[in-house]
Parts: sequence; C-alpha cells; structure tokens
Amino acid sequence: MRKLMLGNEAVARGAWEARVAFGSGYPGTPSTEILEALAVYPDVKVQWAPNEKVGYEVAVGAGLAGVRALVTMKHVGLNVAADPFFSSSYMGVNGGLVVVSADDPGMASSQDEQDNRSMAKAAKVLMVEPYDAEEARWMTREAFALSEAFDSPVLMRMTTRVCHHTGVVHPAERAEFTPKGFVKDIPKFVLLPNHARARRVKIEERLQKALAFSEQSDLWNPIRKGSSDIGIVTSGVSYGYVLETMPEASVLKLGITNPLPMERIRAFAKTVKKLVVVEELEPYIEEAIRAAGIQVHGKDILPDTGELNLPLVEKALLGHVRDKVTAHPGDVKIPVRPPTLCPGCSHRGIFTLFRDMKLRVMGDIGCYTLGALKPLAAMDACMCMGASVGMAQGLEKFGGPKEKGKTIGVIGDSTFFHSGLTGLVDMIVNRSQATLVILDNRWTAMTGGQPHPGTGKDIHGEDAPQLNVAEVCRALGVKRVREVDPYNLEATRKILEEELAAPEVSVVVAVAPCLLGARIPKGEPVEINLETCNRCGACIRVGCMAIHEKDGFPDVDPDLCGGCGVCEQVCEPGAISLPAGK
Amino acid sequence: MDITNILFAGVGGQGILTSSRVLALAAVHAGLDVKMSEVHGMAQRGGNVDTHVRIGKEVPSSLIPEGAAHFLVSFEKLEALRYMHYLRPEGVAFVCPTEIHPLALNLRKDESYVKDIDKVLETSAPKLVWVDATEMAKEAGDLRMVNVILLGALSTRLPMGPEDWEAAIRERFSAKVQEACLASFKRGIQYVSAPV
Repeated sequence: MRKLMLGNEAVARGAWEARVAFGSGYPGTPSTEILEALAVYPDVKVQWAPNEKVGYEVAVGAGLAGVRALVTMKHVGLNVAADPFFSSSYMGVNGGLVVVSADDPGMASSQDEQDNRSMAKAAKVLMVEPYDAEEARWMTREAFALSEAFDSPVLMRMTTRVCHHTGVVHPAERAEFTPKGFVKDIPKFVLLPNHARARRVKIEERLQKALAFSEQSDLWNPIRKGSSDIGIVTSGVSYGYVLETMPEASVLKLGITNPLPMERIRAFAKTVKKLVVVEELEPYIEEAIRAAGIQVHGKDILPDTGELNLPLVEKALLGHVRDKVTAHPGDVKIPVRPPTLCPGCSHRGIFTLFRDMKLRVMGDIGCYTLGALKPLAAMDACMCMGASVGMAQGLEKFGGPKEKGKTIGVIGDSTFFHSGLTGLVDMIVNRSQATLVILDNRWTAMTGGQPHPGTGKDIHGEDAPQLNVAEVCRALGVKRVREVDPYNLEATRKILEEELAAPEVSVVVAVAPCLLGARIPKGEPVEINLETCNRCGACIRVGCMAIHEKDGFPDVDPDLCGGCGVCEQVCEPGAISLPAGK
Repeated sequence: MDITNILFAGVGGQGILTSSRVLALAAVHAGLDVKMSEVHGMAQRGGNVDTHVRIGKEVPSSLIPEGAAHFLVSFEKLEALRYMHYLRPEGVAFVCPTEIHPLALNLRKDESYVKDIDKVLETSAPKLVWVDATEMAKEAGDLRMVNVILLGALSTRLPMGPEDWEAAIRERFSAKVQEACLASFKRGIQYVSAPV
C-alpha cells in the first residue's frame, strides 16, 4: 500500500503500528500534527498537556504501567521537559517510551536553533533520526522496541523539513505488543542518591549494549557502496541532499545517532579516499569522528547555522551549484510581507493601546509576539514560554522611577497555563507592583488552534473541564484581577491605567475568543468616508491587512475586514463607520 | 534524476497547501514518487507562503533549489515576483492576477506594491500564463475554487492522467464539494487549452 503522509502523520502511523497506548505533549511548530494525527486512530489515548514537562511525566507514568507511550514537543519544549528527560534516563523504562524532539533549523517558527542531538548525548539516551516520512513511520514503530530492549527512553530527533514534508509511506500491519503491567522495582524507579548511583553504572552498560547493536545494524545504519573517491557520513534530512548531489558516492547513513557506531564509521572511512560529514547545524557527528582520530571534512565546507539545501550541499561536494540561471524580475524592490495579526484579531486593539500609552512591555510566545512588529512595535522583550511574568517583575523592581507604573508583562492564556502560573506566584509572594495582562482567547492559536486548560475541549473536540483564568489568578492570591473586553479600547485603557497605578500586583484579563480557533464567521466590513478623512494615518497604524493605502487615502478590503471596530475607535475625525447593528 | 519541480506561492490562507496536496495525491495515483515541503506555524499568519512539490520516479529531497522549478503557480501577483528566481528561465509561470496588499506602514508614502507589476512579471518569465482563477471562481459562485482552477491549468503540462486528478480531488475534498471542484478543475484545463 502507498499512502501520502506528512512526516508528522507518519510518526503517528508508526506509533499506532507499535500499539502505543498513550500520546501526550504540548503544541509547538514543527511537532504539533503528530498528536493531532494520532488522536484519529482507535485504541489510543491522546491528550494535550499544559506543558512539555507535565506531558513527559504523564508518559513516564503510563510507561510504568507497562504500556507504550509517545510524547512530542518542539526543540525548546525539551528544555522545559529536560528535568524528567534526564532523570527518566536513570530509571529506564517498563513499557517503551519515545520522545519526539522537532528541531527547527533556520528558525522558521522558533526563537532559537538549538541542535537537540546534544541533549540525547548529555542525557545518555538512545537517539534515532529519520530522513523522510516513510522512515519516520518505521523508525517510530521500531523505536519502541529499541526502548524496551535497551531499557532507555528513545529520543527521536526530527527537523522542520522532515516533520513538514509530505511523502509516500508504506503502512504496515500493527506489531504485536502485550502491556506488561506495573512492575514494582524500588531501586530502579525511586531515584534516591544511592539508587541513582547504581543506575548510573547501568546507563553505561546499556549504552555499550546499544552500541554493539548499532555497530552491526544494516537496517539502522546502512552503507551504500559507491565510488571509493569520496565517502559521506550523514543523517536525517541531509541524506536526501547527498543522494541527489552525488548518487555515485559511498554513503554511510546513520539512523541511530546516539550512541554513534564509531567502528562502523572507521571501517567505512578506510574504504574511501576522502571522508565528509554532511549534517545540519552543529558538527555533532564530525567532532566525534575527529575525536576518534579519523580525518574528516564537514563544517570547513558546509555552514553550521541555518538549514542545509541542495545548492549548499552541491557547492560543498561538487564545488559548484547546478542550477545557476534563474528567471529574474530584474532590479525591482519587492515589498516584504511579514506575518501579521489576522484582521479582527482581539490582540490588535490592546497592542495599539500599549503603544499609544508608551508602556514598557515584556512579551511572551504566541501570535501576540507579532505585536512587536511595525507599525505596532509595542513589545520590548520576548524570550521564551512564560518568561514575560518574571521579566516584568524584575524590570519593574529595578528600572527605577522611569519604569514604575508603566511596566507590564503580556502573556497568552495557553502560555500562562504552560509556565506563567509559577511566575505569578512569585510576583505575589515577592510583592511585585507590576501588572500582568493575560490575553484570554481560549485557544493555543499560533500552532493552529489547539485546546488548552482554558478551552473546555479536549484534543478530540469533546467537552472537558474548563479553567477560568481570572478565577485561577484570584485563587492564587491576586487581589486586583480585572476582566476587560479588548475590543473596547476606552474601557480597556481606563482599567490598564488604574491597575498600573496600583502599588501591588494586578492582573488584567482580556477576554475575547480567537476568531480562527472558535470558528467565528467574518462580519460585515467598516466603511470609510473619504470626505471626512483627514489622512492622519491612525487607522493604518493599527497594522491591519484589511486597510491599505490607495491614492493617499485609506482603503478597506471588504473581503478581509470583519468590522471589529478597532480602526473606527482610533479615527479622530470619525470617518470610519461600523456596519449597521454594531 | 528526472524530477519535475512545481513551486506554489501566495499569501497564507489562499489554499496553497490544499493545492499542493492534491497535486501530490495525483502523483501517487499515477504511481510516481513525490516529496513536498510546506510551511506551518508563525510564517502562515498573513505572510507569504510557498510550498514545494517534486515528482518523478525517485525523489530524494523535498526542497526545490532556486532556478530549478519547471512551474511556478502563484495565487497572487506580488508573490509570483517574490518567488520568480526559483523558476528556470524557460519555466512556465501560471499566475492569478489577484493583488493582496502587504501591511501598509505609512499612509503618505506607501510602497506596498510594485508599480507596473504585470509588465515586470511578463518580462521576467517569458512563458507566463495569466489565469484569472478568482474571476472564474466568482462565476462558479465559490471563491474557494481558485485552487482547483489553477491546478486544472497546471495539469495540462504534467504527466498525470485525468483519472489520477479525479481520484486526488475525490480523496482530498468532501463529497459535498467534489463535483463543483471537478467542474472547476475542468474549467482551468479549458481556459489554457482554448485557442486565443
């Protein structure tokens, strides 16, 4: 059977074939579709966790119960789950545990470009790397068996172009697997120091066993015999570029990249005149080969930042690029089209206020990070999930009178449940006077509208318990919690001013659903009276795709505008009118 | 390696992903290998979007190098220009003459669109075919048909047979819209086949 699948869908298929009983994780590009695809299969329990750490821990618990479990996240998500990830390495497994880290070379949708192959090495767990969708299927399926055979969690390291490429997959029958049930084993599973010291030795033993397996495995680490002039060692997506650039070369393709089968590499190197490692990002394989005393090329001819592609590999291996001549528009300046908040988005009005009130804004990860872009430009820092809360506290405490009364943290509801809660606890007990704005739109929007603890739905769309953001904040001990309608700019501004002036921690919850997540149909557009318009440009400066310039005047695109009314409220001469009935 | 490269370009939300998936499905039905690369996440929010589809007997990698696309299918004029350098000089561009203005930053000296863009496009790709899919979709009474109309036009230059395309469309679209999609697909074929 041949079936077209996204790399992420193929992971889900492989997990289902391996009779995985449980899938968990937190949405994050490029990993999100794995759990969404897995949730469609029968006999699997799939759930979104509030963050990667919790998702990982529930998967470990499921594994202790003797079933196979899958946990998925983007590369930076593994930082959040690093504590259980490193410690679960010491426990080993009962039912197989596979953790997918979806790395993002080139940072198409991320704040950093970390190469998580080093995480597997540091945690001393097995690592596998698929190169395309079909490999993603069978490697996921087999990774559970590896996990159980070598008593280790298995890190499946993927990258954007593997996750988000679509290719031909050959689905297979489901494997046999009987859940083992809970096995009581205190020295193995209770990581007291004296137990952990014993486990530390076991880790090295298990890696040696895995190494022996990897050294002789033609399935996982196949050698393609070709010309003896050049031998290429590669893994993951880079394999495709190598095949296409040099179909005649000898290639050792590593499917298991921790532990690295160095004797296999050494033997392969002896069969060729020149050895080259083609790998994306860090010189992970190259450095290990060099440390083993084998001469090798790699980052001397290939970049160590950004994605690889065919021309880069051609240049490195052939010395030239094959397709040099292109159709060309000539000397024309093409205006950029950066991503932007959707027309009608509930974040637009509140970021317009942040800008106009000249607030100091500590931002966070989500669609609203786009509030940092022109013409809003209403964000001063953004680091990682949940960080806005702590950063706002620190800046407000040490910024002196200049930052006093104007420092806010802004965080989405999904991000708040992910890792903002503990930051708010810290604000309360350490008597911060900063203001936290929580954008409660009920969905994890940037990754495509996944439900979170405040949504009231689960991954299947079934009703689930719904946590109320304002109630949670009050229950934690915040005395000043205000809810606002972010489409009402005047009322929102008044409340922001009051809370910023209050000499204690306050939370402003902006409540309005994500139009995409809640599937709210587009409304009627606004109209602009060009005779009243004084061309001040205030409507343009709310940064909406539905308004653009035409002959020196603002022009509304009726196919995009849903009449949210933000531009109408900033228009001083009153030239913009709302659709009837609004 | 004998690989045909098709690059789709447009603005997030125009149906570019759907088109590329239908093309890839048609290739699978025709017994070909296919790899396709797409963009998700932050890049999708109103920004420019491109998907790469590569079909052939064996396709090792999924990204089309610059200057290697045999076909460029663009849902929007500015985006056709942005991705033009992916096209071979002798490649064919199918462009829908839609204009979507990027976010304006300033009312008084707006530079959000290229002047005389039609002429610039025609000069840079001598084998450019205008396909007013938006107009045809409006006539058909459903704006969402833009993508299948463009696919119909493209299909006249690809090795897959009508039965492969029909199977792909039936697989991708719900029963409710299948017939409308097939009719619009044929409209796209007729548009580029009709003598001018």
